[in-house]
Formats: sequence, C-alpha cells, structure tokens
Amino acid sequence: MSAAASTVARPAGRNRYSTGSLPRRINLYTLPGSFILAAAVMGLLGFNWFGLAAFTALIYLAAISGLSLVVENRRRAMDRFIRGLVTSAFLLALLPLVSTLWTVVSKGIGVLSWEFIGTSGGGTTINPDTLELVTSSGALQAIVGTLEITGLATLFSVPIGLLTAIYLVEYAAPTHWLRRTVNFLVDVMTGIPSIVAGLFAFSLFTLILGPKAFSGLSAAVALSVLMIPTVVRSCEEMLRLVPADLREAAYALGVTKFVTIVKVVIPTAIAGIATGITLAIARVIGETAPIFMAASFTDAFNGNPLAGPMQTLPVMAYTGYKFPGQDIALSNSQAWGAALLLVLLVVVLNLVARIIAAIFAPKTSR
Amino acid sequence: MKVLSFGRAAAVLTVGMLALTGCGGNASSSSTSTAAGSSPAGSTAAAATDYSSLSGTITAGGSSAQANAQAAWAAGFKAQASKVTINYDKSQGSGGGVTNFTAGSYDFAGSDAYLTADQAAKAQELCGPGGAINLPVYLDGVAVIFNLPGVDKLQLSAETIAKIFSQQIKTWDDAAIKADNPGVTLPSTAITTVTRSDGSGTTQNFTNYLHQVAPAVWTDPVSNKWPVAGSSAQQGGSGVVNTVKAGEGTIGYADHSAIGDLKAAAIKAGDAYVSFSADAVTKAVEAAVTPAANAKEGDLAQDIDYTKLTSANAYPIPLISYDILCTTFKDPAQAKLTAAYIGYIASEQGQKIAAKNAGSAPLPAELAAKIQESLKKVS
Amino acid sequence: MSAFPATAHRSSAAVRARPADRIFRLLSTAAAVSIMVILAGVALFLILRAVPAIAANWTSEADLKSGVTGGFPSFWSYVAPLAFGTVWASLIALILATPVAIGIALFISHYSPRRLATFLGYIIDLLAAVPSVVFGLWGILVMRPFLLPMQEWLNTYLGWIPMFSGSVTSTGSSILTGAVVLAVMVLPIITSISREVFLQTPKLHEEAALALGATRWEMVRLTVFPYARSGVVSAVLLGLGRALGETMAVAMIISPAIITSFRVLTEGENSQTIASNIALNFPIATGLQRDALIGTGLVLFVISLAVNMVARLVISRKPRQRRRPTGDDGGKATAAPDPADVLAASDARVSPVSVLHPESVSK
Repeated sequence: MSAAASTVARPAGRNRYSTGSLPRRINLYTLPGSFILAAAVMGLLGFNWFGLAAFTALIYLAAISGLSLVVENRRRAMDRFIRGLVTSAFLLALLPLVSTLWTVVSKGIGVLSWEFIGTSGGGTTINPDTLELVTSSGALQAIVGTLEITGLATLFSVPIGLLTAIYLVEYAAPTHWLRRTVNFLVDVMTGIPSIVAGLFAFSLFTLILGPKAFSGLSAAVALSVLMIPTVVRSCEEMLRLVPADLREAAYALGVTKFVTIVKVVIPTAIAGIATGITLAIARVIGETAPIFMAASFTDAFNGNPLAGPMQTLPVMAYTGYKFPGQDIALSNSQAWGAALLLVLLVVVLNLVARIIAAIFAPKTSR
Repeated sequence: MKVLSFGRAAAVLTVGMLALTGCGGNASSSSTSTAAGSSPAGSTAAAATDYSSLSGTITAGGSSAQANAQAAWAAGFKAQASKVTINYDKSQGSGGGVTNFTAGSYDFAGSDAYLTADQAAKAQELCGPGGAINLPVYLDGVAVIFNLPGVDKLQLSAETIAKIFSQQIKTWDDAAIKADNPGVTLPSTAITTVTRSDGSGTTQNFTNYLHQVAPAVWTDPVSNKWPVAGSSAQQGGSGVVNTVKAGEGTIGYADHSAIGDLKAAAIKAGDAYVSFSADAVTKAVEAAVTPAANAKEGDLAQDIDYTKLTSANAYPIPLISYDILCTTFKDPAQAKLTAAYIGYIASEQGQKIAAKNAGSAPLPAELAAKIQESLKKVS
Repeated sequence: MSAFPATAHRSSAAVRARPADRIFRLLSTAAAVSIMVILAGVALFLILRAVPAIAANWTSEADLKSGVTGGFPSFWSYVAPLAFGTVWASLIALILATPVAIGIALFISHYSPRRLATFLGYIIDLLAAVPSVVFGLWGILVMRPFLLPMQEWLNTYLGWIPMFSGSVTSTGSSILTGAVVLAVMVLPIITSISREVFLQTPKLHEEAALALGATRWEMVRLTVFPYARSGVVSAVLLGLGRALGETMAVAMIISPAIITSFRVLTEGENSQTIASNIALNFPIATGLQRDALIGTGLVLFVISLAVNMVARLVISRKPRQRRRPTGDDGGKATAAPDPADVLAASDARVSPVSVLHPESVSK
C-alpha cells in the first residue's frame, strides 16, 4: 500500500534501472503486517505458536511476491519469493533445534546437580525396619563409562586413522592398488550403520569370550569402527593442506621422510587434525545402539572397561526411559538428566574443536 | 587378542582394585567367591537365618519384570550379608537370561517362562544329570490398563478383551463392553489398543491367557511378540504405560507393578469381576497351577490353567516369573551362595520386601516351602 | 591435489631410507591394511552369524517358529518387509528434509549476511550434535502430540490418497512422526554438504551472471545449481545412508508391525525398520533368533553400502558438458567440486576446513 504510494511519488529524475522498485525497507511494513494477519487467522482457528509462525511466513511470502509482481516485475517477484523461502527454510530448521534443546534443558536442569554428577547409581540400600529401599541416584557411573569408552575408541582410532591418512597422502602413489582400495573402503566404512557396528563388536566378543561378553572394550571397538573413517578423512584433508613447498624444502636439506612428516608436516597440520579428531569424538559419544549392544548397561558402578557391563550417558538416557525402576518418575527424570549432560558434553567438545582451530589456525591458508 | 588375554587376567586383579577404590558392581569372574558359612537354605523362617558369613559375587540376569524386585532383594540380602555382591542384568530380557545361563555365564537366570524342552536339554549339558530347576519366585498379574475420560471403573470379560485386542471391537460403546458394564455410560470414542513392540514375557502370558480362556475369539498364536496388527506398539512396559496415559480411549496391558497411577480393569472370573490385588494373585496361583508335564525332581515349573480361575477372590491373569539355576554347580561354594540368595528371595522377608518395593504378590506358603525343599538339593 | 603426493612419492626415492623411515612407512601401510582387515572382519562376523539363520528351515526349527521370528516361512520373507520399511521411512524423511536443507544451504551460502554465515552454519551443525537418543525422547514427548492434529487433518481431507488412508493414529506413533524426526536428523548432513558445494561455485560465473542483470535467484539458478547438482544429489544420498541406519529414535517413536504397508498415518500398519527391529528384539531373542536378527543387520549393511556407493559415484563423476549457458547442459565452463573436499565435509559433518578457514564460508 505504502509501496504503491512510493512508486507513484517517485522522482522523475531517477534512471530506468531503479524504476518500479519497492522501497528498501519494505520488510518493515510487510513482516509486521503478515504477523498481525497471521495472529488474526490464529484467532479464528485457535491459537498455536507453530501455526502463527507458519501463517506469518505464508502471508509474508504471498504479500512480498504479490507486491513485487504489481510494482516491479515477474523476475524481481520471483527473486523476492525465493529469498523469503530460503529464509523461512532456515528459520524452520531452528524450530526443532530450539525445541529439542529447550526440552532437554527444561527437563534435565532440575536433576542436574553436583550430587547427580558426583555419585553413582545402583548403591541401593534397604531400611531394615520399614523394608523400604533407599535408592542412590546419580550419573557418575555413566560419565565414567562414557569417558572410558570414548577414550578407548579414540585411542584405537586415532593411530590407525592418522597413520592411514599419512599413508594415503605421503606414501602411496596415486594409482597404487592399495591406495585406491583403502580410499574406497574408507568410503564404505563411513556408511556402516551404527547398529551394525554394535552387532559386529557383540559377535566378535561373544566368539572370543563366550555369551556374556559385555564390556567397555567391546563398545570401544564398535565405536572405533564408526570413528576410524571420520578420522582418516579429516586427517587426510588436513595433511593435504600442508603446502608441498614445506616438504620439498625439508627434503632439500637432506631431512629424511620420516622426520619431515613428524617434524614438519604433522606440526603444520596439527590444529586441523586435533579439530577433526575432536569432532569425530563428538560424533560417536552420543551413539546409543552400538554401546547398548556391546556394553549392555548397569546401574552399578563399573570402572573396569575390560569386564562386565558398563553404563554410558546415552544408554542411561535410553534405559531410564525403557527400564524404569519402581519410581517411574524418578527414572524418567534421570534419563533427562543424562540426556542434558550428554548434550552439554557434545556442545563443549564442539566448542573445544573450534577453540583449537582458532588458536592454532595455520598461518598459511590455501 | 593380546589385549583380551590381558583383559582376563586384569579382570581378576581388578576385583581387588575396585574394592580399594570402594566401588562395587564388578561383574567379573564369580569363581573367586567363598562361602564360609553353612548353608542357610533349610528353613522357611529365613529371617532367622544368619547370612553374615557368606561372601562372593552372584552374577545373574534376565527378566526385566523381576528387575525391581531383584534390586530390592539384592539390597535386602546385602544388608544381612555385607560381603556378597549381586549383579542382576535386567537389560537381557528372559531370552538373553536363559541364553547366558545355558552358556554357563550366569549363576541363575530370571525368566518369565520356564525352560523349554530344548533349553532344558542344553541346561543339562551344563548342570549335569540333575539339570536345571525352575523356581517360581516372583508373582504379579497382567493388568489391563485404560484411559477413558469419564470412566473410572471398567469391567471386562476375557471374550471382550480378546475382541478388543484382536481389533474386532472398534469403539468403547460397543455392545460387548456395555454388556460387561451395566449402568456405565460409555462414550463412542474409538479404541486404541496399546501393545509391546519388543518381545516380552508379559505378552507371552497375556496371549496365553486369551488363547486359553477365549479360544473362540482369540485365534492368533501364543507368542512373546505381539501377533496382531493394528495396535499401537510401544517399546517396553513403560512405553505402553506412557502411551495409554497420554492417549484418549486407549487400552493396553502391562505388569501390574509397573502401571503407576493408571486405572486397571476388573477382569471377569466365573460370574464375578475381580480387581487386581496381591492377595488375589496369590490365590490365583494356588488355584490354577499344576506342575509342568516334564518337570524333573525338584523342578517347580508350573503350568497355569487360566480356565480354572472362576472364583471371585482369584485374579484371572496371574504372571509367574522364575529363577532358574543348576542343581549341581561346578563350584560348591558358589552353589551355597546362590542357593542362600534364592532361599532369601523365597523367604517371608524376601517376599515382603518385593511386595513393598516392587509391587509383587507374595508366594503361596506351600510353594515357598517347596522352593526351600528344592534348594536343599542344590550343591 | 593429486599432483603433490606424486611429487612426494618420487622424492622419497631420492632420500636415502633409514631404519626409522622404513619402520614408519611400514607402520602407516599397516594402518591402511588394517582398514581392510577391520571391514572384512565386520562383514565376516556378520556373515558367520547370519548364515545359520538364513540356511535354517523356518517352518520346522523350534527357535524360529515362534516368538520374535514366528510366523515367517523363511529368512527372506522376514527381512523383505523390514527392508521395505527401512527404505520407506528413510525416503519420507528425505522428501521432507531435502527441500528445506537445500533452502538452508542456499540461505547460508548466498543470502545471509556474510559476517553471520559461519555462525549460522554452526547453528545448523548443532543439530547434528544432538544424540539420536535425545531426539527419540524429544520425539515422544514433543513431536508425537505436536504432529497429531496435522495427521488427523491429512487423514480426514486427503485420506483418499492411499498413503494417508487407514485409521489415523491416536497417539502419534506413526511413520510420519518418525520420518519428521528422521528428517530433522539428516537435515544438517544434507545442509553442510550442499553448502560446501554451493560455495565452490566459481566466483567469476556468479559475477558474470549478476553483471548481465540477473537477479540473485537467476544467478543461483543459472550458475550455482547446474554446478552443484551432482554434489547435492550425493548429499541427499549420504543423508539417506544416515537415515537408513538410524535406530534409537525410530525404535522409540514408531509403533511397528512387520508388514509391507505404504500408509504413514496409522498406528497399527507401520512398516518396521531393520535397525529398530534389531534394537527392540535382540535382548529377548534366543539362539537362532539372534542369528536371524544379525542376518537382517547384514541386509541393512548391504543396503546402506549400496546407497553410499551410488553417492560416491555421483560425486566423483565428471560434470556434464554444458552447451548453452542457460540450458541444462551448458558450455564446458565448470570443473567439478573437488570430491575430496565434499567427502570430507560429509564425513566430519562439520568440515574442519570451514572451521579453520571461516573466510571460505563467508566468502
């Protein structure tokens, strides 16, 4: 409406390229307008936040492209429509993110305390007079389990992953059959479904140790299968970013290849490698199905990854929901507490990765 | 592989290590156990038995129905035998429990069904000629839970339940439900049946009940996996309970001890409608069980004949969960320890603890006495 | 990129090999070989466990006749509906996620304020950081009730479409709910790869289009899309690979039955997925039943392998020759986005490149 007015009032002297354009601040009018209209629609249909957002977006899209079609031209209208559309797509993706984080935080924050982090579950005792159980509730066993299992998985995956990357980048001739095969197999490995990795570890350990083969080690093996390809790819990429000049300069000085790699190539790429590894850890730390298959779960504390079921945070979140104790509400709230701890851990790992990247960012960029 | 053989050695070492750090719960080799005291599994007055001299680790697992009771029993037993550690792994389910037991890695298995002939044969390879014995230690009932706004009390006959769960009745104001509930106004809300999506002993018991009592309506198989399409299948007893609670016009089945504050239907037995009570379950078990056909000496596997449950004081869908153990252990000390623990479970105090903390029904006195008899032969 | 390892290789011959050198070379080669061993191990163990169940007679074997695997005459009749359900649920998730993901990628790469681009990318990557079990809990608590009215609406007004027919869910445990949650989970994968690919469009092409008077959308349509097509296709396929293997969220949300059904709004007629079926039934399964479940895992492995291979194939394919600048097959203008970069973006989810070189994102 105001747009039409502005086009009528356009100064005569402007050149033809800016003719028939909507004012720059058109969104200041269309957005609130759409919002009010959407609110009115909601008033008719019954209120709901998602509906409000959806109708605002729809009305805005219709309004902006309609206005543009009238005032400007079809091409501009299309452009404005698409701009609105991709922006809505982005905002739409924020909804589940905000909703998930909000749900986890609001449900989990009540449980979270130093006591929850610092004590172990499963230490149930009984009051001999009333015969009532006193359940100790805490997540220490799950935190320890998560750290040990992902720690072991990292211990297995990083040497294999890094050395494979070094082989691929530094040693193998591009056409060598082993390089091509390994390249292909790393791709294949990326596609292994997590539950299949769990089944693999379970089958492997039952074959060796008999049917009760649950252990943290077994879960770590399962996670390694998922982690290795990620580590190989990110290390490979980082090693490739190291300029060939550096290597050749080292060779020219008569430095051996081994020393060149260890003293020149890896230090140059170390930030990227560390970032890639941290992100790989963040990826596997939240895996549930493979750990549940391989390490089972327990409410009791088990700090020994070599024998017996181990509790982890994702499995604790899952089992708190699926196998609640007598006090169902308590079990469910503990599940949320574990979920919140897990999300915090993953977010922290992601931040750490970025901090590593920021601090050690290489002077040379590509 | 080097890591693994190291692991075995380390497992033994860590028993000590863990003791030092004050952390229990290591499910490692149980052969390190020693039973210093004499076997207490003699009398039914188990509260008088002194367990304090026992020590060692019991490794077990299986039925998740028993899980809460096992947690209570472990705590109760530990209060009297402080040197004993009990690990009951509830993630395994009955199937996993039996599998691990027959492979020799459990001291006993918790299972919602007694061993099949095949499994018993496998157990015999492990336990020697005496084989394994099934001891019914945990009683509960399958509750038919519902959420129908405006309706607090619901009465259902087996035929009606069978019709509902086989998707033959679609709305709450169906004539069959009305006939069971004279004087109650039932809405025309659609019925949503909620069942288990995972294999479960509860499903096994429930389908067995429908199969026996309403064979004309229930033509689907008896199975631990829900056999009829068209229901809302949810994961775990908690999934069923949560979904029934969240929905409207929902009906489902779950172990009574796990239903929380949900309403359960009274089930028709004979001419009366019987609500769940612990006492009614005990009565039902007294009335309806007969020793299983191929039971060995000392084996207390029971077949439930649901059709016998026609009296007004017996709950029509009882659920029995067993602890299964060898008659002959490789290690006599371990045998004493395990027998003492299961003796405690079947004792008056054990049953009281489970009733209080897990909502189970107490064992009939006769059955409890038989369990203690059977345990005497475990060596 | 491939030129320089070759140089390195040649120069290694020039440098005299010392023991440490030889050992290190041996070690890194051994690591590469170990990848082959691990993968062979995964396949071998699954096959070893699966073969007895596949070979068994499902109508006479006591273990298989009842319970978890009861009612199926053979392994293949058991796994077929599961395989269908796996693909079906993932496809719906992809149909929901792909347009949104491409929109987001485009927003971040070509529409958002430049200074914000890296940050916005990080926000979307945060979605990838949420563990699947958390999505499962969230799906049960939030998404099930939230999507219920929409599903009733679809069933009432669009029930004549077979997909939306049947008796509508009353608790929300339908395939559609599961697929929406799956869509949220694959969104960051498709987005991050598409974003990387969009950003690699040669700057010159874009500027040329703009200089000719194209609007931003026309520039995107004429320069970015033709260039990025294969990259986006493979991004979608990699997203599919992720959706296929998703376990916990699906197991917690969808009410399954082992049947072949296209319906997405019902409660009792949802096709089951392989991964969820394993997670739900593995604990109670005994003997051969476990082997049968491992067998279905093997089938899942093969399916996701196939999807991943196709994805890689699409990525590494040379871009088609283009004849007309405006047409679908235009002039020989563009080089393919480097496969290695695209793959790295997909594997690390959050590409270390974009972390280290924010300028490459916020160009």
